[in-house]
Amino acid sequence: MSAIYLRRRITNWLAMGLSMLATLIGLAFLAWILWETLRQGIGALNLKLFTRITANGADGGLANAMVGSLIINFIGIAIATPIGVLAGTWLAEYANRTKLGETIRFLNDILLSAPSIVMGLFVYTIIVLPSTALTHGSTTFSGFAGGVALALIALPVIVRTTDEMLRLVPSTLREAALSLGVPQWKLTLQILIRAARSGIITGVLLALARISGETAPLLFTAFGNNYMAVNPIDKMSSLPQIIYQYANDPGDDLHAMAWAGAFVVTMFVLLLSLASRLVLSRTKVSHD
Amino acid sequence: MTDSALAMNPAQVAATSAVAPKLTVRDLHFYYNGFHALKGINMDIPEKKVTSIIGPSGCGKSTLLRIFNRIYAIYPKLEARGEVTLDGENVLDPGYSMNRLRGKVGMVFQKPVPFPMTIFENVAYGIRHHEKLSKADMTIRVEQALRSAALWDEVKDKLKQNALGLSGGQQQRLCIARAIALKPEVLLLDEPTSALDPIATSRIEQLVEELKSQFTIVIVTHNMQQAARCSDLTAFMYMGELIEFDGTEKIFTKPGKKQTEDYITGRFG
Repeated sequence: MSAIYLRRRITNWLAMGLSMLATLIGLAFLAWILWETLRQGIGALNLKLFTRITANGADGGLANAMVGSLIINFIGIAIATPIGVLAGTWLAEYANRTKLGETIRFLNDILLSAPSIVMGLFVYTIIVLPSTALTHGSTTFSGFAGGVALALIALPVIVRTTDEMLRLVPSTLREAALSLGVPQWKLTLQILIRAARSGIITGVLLALARISGETAPLLFTAFGNNYMAVNPIDKMSSLPQIIYQYANDPGDDLHAMAWAGAFVVTMFVLLLSLASRLVLSRTKVSHD
Repeated sequence: MTDSALAMNPAQVAATSAVAPKLTVRDLHFYYNGFHALKGINMDIPEKKVTSIIGPSGCGKSTLLRIFNRIYAIYPKLEARGEVTLDGENVLDPGYSMNRLRGKVGMVFQKPVPFPMTIFENVAYGIRHHEKLSKADMTIRVEQALRSAALWDEVKDKLKQNALGLSGGQQQRLCIARAIALKPEVLLLDEPTSALDPIATSRIEQLVEELKSQFTIVIVTHNMQQAARCSDLTAFMYMGELIEFDGTEKIFTKPGKKQTEDYITGRFG
């Protein structure tokens, strides 16, 4: 009896010890990355970063890249959100348990894990190249093309979360509304989307966090621009692209600016994640 | 109707009350994905009485209830064959509009499921779909429904608050208010108290007693005491068949079938 008990206790300690070790290794790297970004980034922060543009080089700032990132991300989310929420709603409410629905859900999962550079090349082929033909050969990289590439990355994230959040809504809520004679479309728009609202908003915020760190899809689409550009049909710079460029430069000044840019992106993503947690927790309180 | 009338079988009850039964079920079969879940059910449910349906888990009692408002039809691969008539019209006929049927037959479910909106909106939501009312009329209608559901006094000062903040028992009475706000003729209750504590349960049972003057009530319950306490007629089902259907007093004192007796005395189920 006590021998068995002892063996169980040892097994328990072992399993617990190993899983704690694994967690620690994972967390240690995360903490290390955050610490380095914070240490190097904060040191390089100054007002010039927000007021001057990259054309000034080591004496400049990242203003054009920050504005570019905001515009490109906004375009990406503005395209992906309506399509993603509608597609997710269709999957959960109209195509659930159908063959077509299952197939599309599977394809969406593939899209979710598609390499982001492929998205960039795809948009390069369907938008940048054809519009180059229209302008008789002058290259037409644009902030808009970058936004479309990011939309393709955000889209499957939003489809997936909308689909999952709606399927989490208990079926009794559907039955209760339908038993009042309410038609499916009213039920979906007025009750189900409302019940799943916080989850869907969280999905959109997480998608935004995901795309704000993307570099590869922007290289072939928004390309980059050392001057301030606010018109989406112009070439546009973005923080990840500048970080990539400056980190490859031999100059220490530019390295420091790359760290500062990394710090700004990280803080942006961190704030988005916090905001999404806040949205979720606030509505959870009123649910219980 | 007198007590002796209740002791008669339902066909006689219907005959003596000189009105046709509210709901009649004729040779009703039901299939889940090919599984034969209901096997030739026949019953007459009288108007403005409480009819309870009891039986062990899986006997088909909820399935039967869910046919009366065709809520089963929202899921694929379910099929009902036979006839269920409401005031003489077959509600299983595809020509019988879902909107009309659900306006006439209200339903309350096992778990309280308020909509994610205010208390007032929960009740007004269904009404708005069926009728255009002025703001003043709507306020009156919502108050009436909440009063009938014995909830008004508890919520009158917080109608604008989220319904999810109410207790379980209050939420279930809100669901009843939501159903009766449409002024249905039949009210289906699917184990309405199984998620509630004893005090909330007794309030719902009291409410059922009060509501039967206005509605024909059919209640599915796991709880035999509940059936005995609050229904006029009781149907006992077993393995997809209706074994016995009679006045509640008769079912619980001198049941006609051996299986019914075994079940109510706790020998199985």
